[in-house]
Amino acid sequence: MNCLDYRRQLLAGAGETETMRMHRMQCGGCAAEYQEHNAFEQALRAGLEVPVPAGFAERMARAQVARRRRFLAAAASVAVAAGAGGFYFLARQDPVALACIDFVMKEEAKSIMLGPMPRAAAATAVASTLPLERIERVGQVRHIGPCPFNGATAYHVVLMVPQGKVTLLVMPGKRMPGARHATKEGMHAEVMPMGAGSVGIIGADLAVVESVAGALKA
Amino acid sequence: MSFEETVRAHAADLYRYAYWLTRDRAQAEDVVQEALLRSWRAFPRLRDRAAAKAWLFTIVRNEFLRAAGGADPAAESLDGLEVADERPELFGLEVRDALHALPASYAEPLALQVLGGFSCAEIADMIGTTEGAAMTRLTRARQALKRLLAPRERKAGRS
Repeated sequence: MNCLDYRRQLLAGAGETETMRMHRMQCGGCAAEYQEHNAFEQALRAGLEVPVPAGFAERMARAQVARRRRFLAAAASVAVAAGAGGFYFLARQDPVALACIDFVMKEEAKSIMLGPMPRAAAATAVASTLPLERIERVGQVRHIGPCPFNGATAYHVVLMVPQGKVTLLVMPGKRMPGARHATKEGMHAEVMPMGAGSVGIIGADLAVVESVAGALKA
Repeated sequence: MSFEETVRAHAADLYRYAYWLTRDRAQAEDVVQEALLRSWRAFPRLRDRAAAKAWLFTIVRNEFLRAAGGADPAAESLDGLEVADERPELFGLEVRDALHALPASYAEPLALQVLGGFSCAEIADMIGTTEGAAMTRLTRARQALKRLLAPRERKAGRS
């Protein structure tokens, strides 16, 4: 190892390997560089460690406990109200709704990165299924763009509503016979027939998904 | 380790990481909250609990991308980076000032490496690039920080 390699690796911050250490022991210049680097790394850590709001970790942990209690209470009341047969029906996972969740988990960030489409083109593309004006009455459209979905082109909408964010997948020309549901990895999806096609609504909170579905239908 | 214990252990670093993505305290808190909401139900299915930290950092990143509506930090560059005014301050705070001048695409891998303790290969995987490109970004980020801090160090040396 030479001085250039030593300093290049040090600057990447990955830590000193045994080969690097052996070089430093024999090189005064790199030993001095190493000392300076350590001082810089300490300051860098101090700079990156911005103050965290008081009690933040505890507050976040308590929120998870409260959320679990609410979830268990809701699941229990659904089971009691619906009975075993009804619960089986509710728990049935629809493949298109599951595909909607998979899209959000795996493809959404990539789809957003491809950039939005012009508003006029978006309005025309979704008009026969769900007019853009109706979406905008429910929340603020943060992104709208085409995406491949379920063997056809769908329109991916990131919608900000007062309760948080939801994703819509507008599927022109694919009208479902009725509403479909799925739950996977903490995400919920409802797919419902609208106009000449269908719309998938996906979010982390079931109540918000249902509320947005109701608002879009209204 | 339960989900609550995992949250307690990593919440501070998740917040700090979210801060360097958003550069805003309120947004950082929102991003972490949303990310934890997404992750808590999936947590029981997480097979490798030792990977929980990297998993949570990735969810925070995805949530940031979602909230930012596609503002990918990787799109930024170091071009036009200006050396800040000379101001005598504590060194840690000086570095923080300099970090604020650094584009998010360079501050982010530094936060992942220094706060998260992730290797170059893990960082590359998290930000969707190659290990070599992640190393280059980390090197350039440190070089840029040192360049930004140089006038202050020179001034400190003179006084």
